[in-house]
Formats: sequence, C-alpha cells, structure tokens
Amino acid sequence: MVSSNTTAGYAAGRDASVPRYSTGIAKVVNSALYRHTLGAAVESRIGRIILLAGVPLIWLIMLHVGPIYQMLKISLMSHYPVQPGVESHFTFDNYAIFFSESLYFTPLIKSFIFATAATAITLVVVYPVAYYVAKVVKPEGRSKALLLLLVPFWAGELIRTFSVIMLLANRGAVNVLLREIGLIDRPIPMLYTSFSLGFGLVYLICLYMLLPLYSAIEKIPSQYLDAAADLGAGPFTRFRRIILPLSKDGIVSGCSLVFLTCIGVFATPMLLGGPNTVLFPETISGFFHGASDKWPVGAAFALIMLVTALITAGIFMRLVGGKKRSAF
Amino acid sequence: MRNMFSDAPRTTLTAFYWAFLLYLLLPLTLMMAMSFKDANFVAFPIGDWTLDWYAKVMQDKQFLEACLYSVMIAAASTLAATTLGTWIAMLIVAEGIKGQVIIFALACLPAVVPGMISAISMRIFISTIDMPTGTAAIILGHTVHAVPFVVVMALTRLRSMPGNLVDAARDLGADSVVAFFRVTLPYLGPALVGGMIFCVLLSIDDFVRTFFLGGYRPTLPMLIFAKVQGGMSPEINAMATLVLVVTAAVGLYAEYLTRRARTR
Amino acid sequence: MNKILVPNRRTALKMLGGGAAALAMPAVIRPTPGWAANGVLNITTYDKFLPQEFLDKFQKDSGIQVNIRLTDDQGKQYNLLTAEGANPSTDIVTVAGHRYSQFISSKLLQPLDTGKISNWKNLNPAYQNAAWARVDDNLWGLPILAGYEGLARNVDYVKEAPSWEIMFDPQYKGQTSYIVSDFMTIVMQYLGHDGDFVSYAGKPEVAQKATNEARDFLIKNKDMVRKYYEAGSEVQQMFINEDIYLGHSWSGPAAKLIMDGHPIQLSVPKEGTFGFCYTLNVVNNAPNAENAYKLLDAVLASPEVGAAMTRQSGYSSTINGVADLLNDREKLASTLPQEELERIVFFSSVNRDMKNEMIDRATAEVKAA
Repeated sequence: MVSSNTTAGYAAGRDASVPRYSTGIAKVVNSALYRHTLGAAVESRIGRIILLAGVPLIWLIMLHVGPIYQMLKISLMSHYPVQPGVESHFTFDNYAIFFSESLYFTPLIKSFIFATAATAITLVVVYPVAYYVAKVVKPEGRSKALLLLLVPFWAGELIRTFSVIMLLANRGAVNVLLREIGLIDRPIPMLYTSFSLGFGLVYLICLYMLLPLYSAIEKIPSQYLDAAADLGAGPFTRFRRIILPLSKDGIVSGCSLVFLTCIGVFATPMLLGGPNTVLFPETISGFFHGASDKWPVGAAFALIMLVTALITAGIFMRLVGGKKRSAF
Repeated sequence: MRNMFSDAPRTTLTAFYWAFLLYLLLPLTLMMAMSFKDANFVAFPIGDWTLDWYAKVMQDKQFLEACLYSVMIAAASTLAATTLGTWIAMLIVAEGIKGQVIIFALACLPAVVPGMISAISMRIFISTIDMPTGTAAIILGHTVHAVPFVVVMALTRLRSMPGNLVDAARDLGADSVVAFFRVTLPYLGPALVGGMIFCVLLSIDDFVRTFFLGGYRPTLPMLIFAKVQGGMSPEINAMATLVLVVTAAVGLYAEYLTRRARTR
Repeated sequence: MNKILVPNRRTALKMLGGGAAALAMPAVIRPTPGWAANGVLNITTYDKFLPQEFLDKFQKDSGIQVNIRLTDDQGKQYNLLTAEGANPSTDIVTVAGHRYSQFISSKLLQPLDTGKISNWKNLNPAYQNAAWARVDDNLWGLPILAGYEGLARNVDYVKEAPSWEIMFDPQYKGQTSYIVSDFMTIVMQYLGHDGDFVSYAGKPEVAQKATNEARDFLIKNKDMVRKYYEAGSEVQQMFINEDIYLGHSWSGPAAKLIMDGHPIQLSVPKEGTFGFCYTLNVVNNAPNAENAYKLLDAVLASPEVGAAMTRQSGYSSTINGVADLLNDREKLASTLPQEELERIVFFSSVNRDMKNEMIDRATAEVKAA
C-alpha cells in the first residue's frame, strides 16, 4: 500500500521541466556501441562500482582535496612565501597560536553562535513560504510563484547589499518616509546594528533555505494529507505528524547550506554589521589582507574553521536527519 | 488540494508569502529607482530623473561583453557541476559503499572555505598541474565551488527516494544506467533545477575566484566590483537593473513556454 | 614550493588533474597562454585609472595589445602575485603607499630603471627621488597619484575639526567611522607617539607599549564609532546617507564627494597625518617588462592621463601640468592650505615588519573586544 502511494506521489511530483527519455534512451541502449561498452560494464559488479565511484572519487580527491592540500602544506610552514635566504621549516606553531589565545577563540565562538541563530531565523521565516509554494499554490502556478522569489537574486550579492543600505540608512527610504509623515524628527539609526545584519543576512541567504525546502516538501504526496484530514487531524497535527517529518531532508539540507555558507564564505553581509559584529572569517582574512601577511597562520585558522564547521554540520545532520534516512 | 487546510491557515500562508515577496522586492525597487538618478552617487532623495545612465550602459561595449562572458562561464560550470554533483550524490546514497560520511564531508569542503582562501589555493593548485590561467581555469574554479550545493540539493530527494522505484525498473529489464536516466533523474528534477539555480548564481556572483584564475576578460561581477570601488554610482544600478529585467523576462517567458507545451 | 611533492607523484597529480579538468570543461584550453605572448602587456589596476582613449592610442602607436585586469583592493593583488610566485601572469600592478614596502620585501617587484623612461622629467620633482620611495638603494615604482589620510566632516553638522580629538567627542557619539588599522597609527600620533614606528627601530618594548596605549584608547571609545569600514565606497556612502558626520578617510574617496558637490570637507588636524602615493610597478619576472616600460613612459608623456586618474580616484596627480587641466572644483577638492600640507608625513619604508605586525595584532584585538 505504501509503495503504490509513493509511486503515485512521485508521478504527481514530477516536474514538467524534466524531459522524458522515452525513445532516445531506448535507441541508445539498443545500439551495439552501448551494449559493448557501458552495457557490458554494468553487467558486472566491479564495472558498476567503477562506473558509480570512479569519476566522483577522482574529482573529489583531485579538486576538492587538492587545493585544500596546498593550504594544509602552507599552514605547516613557518614562512610562506619562502624568500631566498630564509629557511622555512615544518611546524605546528600556526595551529598553536589559535589555542593559546582567547583573542582568536572568541570570534570563532561568536561566528558559530551567529551562524546558528541566522540558520534558525532563516528556517522559521522561509519554511511557510516554501510550504505555500509547494503545497498551497496550484501546480500550474508553482513555477511562477518560485520565479518571483528568485528575481532579486539575479542582481548579485553586492548590489543587493547596497539595496539594503539604501533602505535602512539614516537617509534611507524608511527614515525618509517616517520623517515625511512626521513620525520622527531625527533619523533612527538602523544600519550597522545587529538588526541590519540579521535583516540583510536573511535577505541574502534565504534562497539557500528556500530551494531545498521546496524540493523536499513538493514530493510529499498530497494524498497523505487528504487522508489525515479525512481521519480528522487538524492542520497543526497534520503539520507536525506528516509534513514536518517528511520534509526533514529539506530542513537538513537547507540548514547545512545556510550554516556552512554563513560561517565561511559570506563576506558581504559584514558591510551591514557594526563594530561589535566582527566574526571569524574576518579574523582569517586579516591574515591574508593585513599589511603583515601571514599566510601560514591564516591557512591554519581556515583549516580549523573548516573542520569545526563540518563536524558541527555532521552532528546536526545526525541529530535531525536520524540514522536510517540520512547518508550517515 | 481538497480539504487540505481550513481557510484561516491558508489565508495566513498566502499573506505571509506576499509579505515575504515584498521584503525581497522592496530594497530592489529602491535600487532600480536609483538607476534613474541624475547624480554621480546614489542617495535619497532622487531629485532629478534621467535616462542617461541607461544610454551609457547600453553603449558600453565592456559591459555587454562582460555579460556574455559571464553567461558563458555560468553555463559551462553549471553543466559540469550539476553532472558531477549528481554523480557524487548517487555515490553517497549507494548501498554497499563504505565511508559515505567522508565522501560527503569531502563533497562539502569547497562550500566552507572563505572565498579568498579558496581562490588562492586554487591558483596554487592549477600551477602545480601546469594548467594555464584563463577561461578554462575560471570554469574549473566555479565548478568546484558549486558542486557541494548540487550534492546537498540532490540529497534532499535521493535519501528518501523510494527504493522500489528503481527496483521496479530493474525488474522490467532496465540496467543501472537506464534505471538512473529513466527513474532517478526525473525524480530528482526539482532538486536539480534548484541546484542549477545555485550554480548559476554562485558563478555570476563570484569575483575573487575569477580574479585569481584569469581575469583579463572581465566578468560582470568583476566589472561591478571594480566600479563600486570608484564610488557607488547610478550607472551600477542601471547595469544591475538591466540584468534583472532581462533575466526575469527570460525566466517568465521560459515558464510560459513550458506551461503551454504541457497543456497541449 | 613543490619540494614536498616527489616528482613522480607530481606527474600523477598532473595527469589526474588534467583528466578531471578536461572532464569538467567543454571549453577550449588555449595551447599557449595569452599572457605570455609577444606584443602583449598585462596590467592589474583600478577601473578607469588608465583612460580608454589613452589605451587605444597606446595600442595603436606601439602595436602592443594591452590586457587590463580590474582589481578592487590591494589585498587581492598582493595575494595573487604571491600565489603566482615566479611565474606571474601580470606585468604591471598598481600599489598603494601603505603596501609599497610589503610588495618590495616579498620580492614581488623589480627595481625601476628610470633610464628606460625618457619622460621621467615630466614627473613632479618632489616625487622623482623621494626618500620614502627609495628602498635598498632602488626605486621600485612610478608614483602616479598622491594622497593622505584626512579627517573628513559633514560641514552641515560639524563646523570645525582642528584636532583628531573630535573623533572622540561625546557630541558625535555613533556618528564617526574609520579603518581600524589606519586610524590606530593616527591615534598613536594623537597620543604623542610615533605612529609610523620609524623611531622604534630596535626598540620593540617601547613600540609595543605605545601600540597598546592606542589600542586600549580605541577599545575604551568603542561606543563612539558607528562602523569600522574597509573600502572607500563605504565611507562615501556613509557620509552621503548621513550615517556619520565625521570620519577618518583617505583623501581620494572624500575628494570625490567634494568634487560632486556634497557638503564634505577634508582637513589635516594639528596632530598631523600620513601621506602616500599610488605607484605603477613592474612585476618581478614580468613576462613583458619591456612593454611595461613603454607604457610607463606613455603615461608620463601627457598630463591628460594624470588628470583622468585624478578625476577617477580623487587623489592628486604627481605628473607636471595636470593642475591646468582640472576645473576649479576638482582643483579645490585635491588642494590643502599650506599649513595643513606641512603636517603630512609620508609613510617611511623603515621598520615596516615591526609596525605591520604590531598594528595588525592590535587591530584584531580592537575588533574582537
């Protein structure tokens, strides 16, 4: 019974943008070339494993690990770039610096708290929107509802950040409007505060939550909800017992994407923060950006951040995703 | 959709969606309005309006070339990252493969490294493999950056994909490759579309990797970053507005075409 | 750098990497990299620093194809050259004064042979052999723009700013902004120390004490500041939006606001400040060094180029005859009263390591406080 339901759900959830391969594939599969190459390969177990794992493993080891390996090497050197006449030797000092001083420890902790809070806020704000688009809007209107949400993102990160500045500045739209209608005589300083940072961050990053959630909620078969409603379950019960558990993959993915990007890559939102919102990526970039360049220390710190962030995300996935469903 | 919700939550959700859309669009409307400002720096009030910035941007050969170049790089890196990302995700959910945690962590690596560090390490890396800087290197850099996003997106559906779908296909005589293309790929549809959107956005937003890996032909973000450095001028807003209007129009037109094709 | 990798492992890496790369990309990989060809010149610089008309003319006259790589800050430029090591993909870089000695000590530049620049005489004599520019008995770049760190104020709200003290006046609480590392050295001056560390050579204890004092002062006054900024465009936007009334600013971004008619003034308070130059520098091991010299020569050939750079950046030109090409407002924006001009001391090239190390650390401490 479950199987027939899921299959039906899958059919209903099929997106029109995915082409169907009915005749093309058949032609390829029946060709002699295919049967003697790929076709033969998938016949054997070894062939299947190579087909499945070969390219991904080469790619991961070469291009995901390769560049980071360069950073690892640099992080273990006493000097980089190595100047003529200066001897660089192998050392763990660059890592020791991090653990020896709270100066660098504090921003890391701050970063984690900040990223966690940002992830939680984004999840709470974006979930209803994703749900609305995936389940409330009629199927033919969905892509349009999604497209509308996508529009702002094509302007680029920097431009969107400056748009937020134009909205919140002392002479920005909000303050000008409030002053025009006589509610205030002095502008309210909204920019360069935790508020503007949060406002801007959700603004910049919500797509990373929206799309995974949409893709997970969209596949929940509507019949499940109808059946539950027929059995008398109220909206809240249906949400808690059916929608939430079945959209768990989307929550895990969305939260990981938002958390990981928040913690590492996102430099632009810092344009919106104040003097008390300095985070770890800024500390790291200080080592690459400052006048006394210290690539080895910066590289060591980046690796510390990388490992901590991945472990945190891993723990989160295991806690929320559960052992059976997740890839772990 | 029958009976799904009583009216109250439904109305609330609708209202919430439109409020959220307003939140997304309001700052952008300001940004677009500023592109008509007759001054060298953006600021309120707008004062005198002009179309001069658009005239200037439309004639700017560098801008048009940068747009085309960005589109080219985004298309190539999206294609590559989507293929690789899906492949890696398939490996992660495959049965009988050990070390999936490690594979997953490796797949996510590039998403966590700050841009500058990722760009530097990529630059050093391509010189160790004697690869020249240029378009190919830029596409490679963008692809590496985008792969984790595709992997995570693909996993949103793959992990809970009913195994019996593929089994059924196999029972009907399809081999693994055929089952992947005929069953798994269509099931992944919405997730992969999302992943591709991320790829395109990451690519057209990237400044630092492009700068390190090539950069003598400016991409759109390189041009915009360089212009912002000289002061936030309405010219930049006009550029962004044009990009926005064109992409929105293309998106809506594509959506219209798909819908028409489906109803036929 | 590759010593850690044994040769055969490196070959394997190369093949694998090539394989993975080819797999990822349908795009064509050019057999000979464009940046090493003959008749080419690669420049990394800011947008509009080299006007298009000038570049068109230069390319026509010399037959050299010029490629421009646009940058938006100094850090990326420095990191790129460092990452590229002995095989740079750029011939000319544009270095700001506070980075000059860093580029030199990292061996990223080659000494400038002024004998190859026949128009050298067109450079303002004050910059032809300036003490700050001479490091290890060599000149390392062609100074093209001069600027200083000034105190910018919105004259609608702040009438006078004779001293840096005003940055800590409770009246302007939450209405000031600065770049922490730069302002730190100015605060050292303000507190009566040597913000450029020249006199601290060989005296790390004294230097550390002075730095710590400035650091603690900034931490104590952290509630005074609205934002620690990084880029010139940020401080411009804060002034325009009236988010701040007072700010420490490099002269260029502030001068551009003045040129545009905003109610901003830039001054040098009585405690003094630091000056610097932007230089065009030929990169160490530059693949097209000869062409690079041809361009430097052409830059000096006519004041038009200098004038365009001033309009674009807000900094003063170092090339003779540029002032005649500027309009009154442009001139005013980049001119200071003689009395204030005399308070500017150029960044030295002495004792940089100690200065950079201590200032960078103190900066991190202020930010994290």
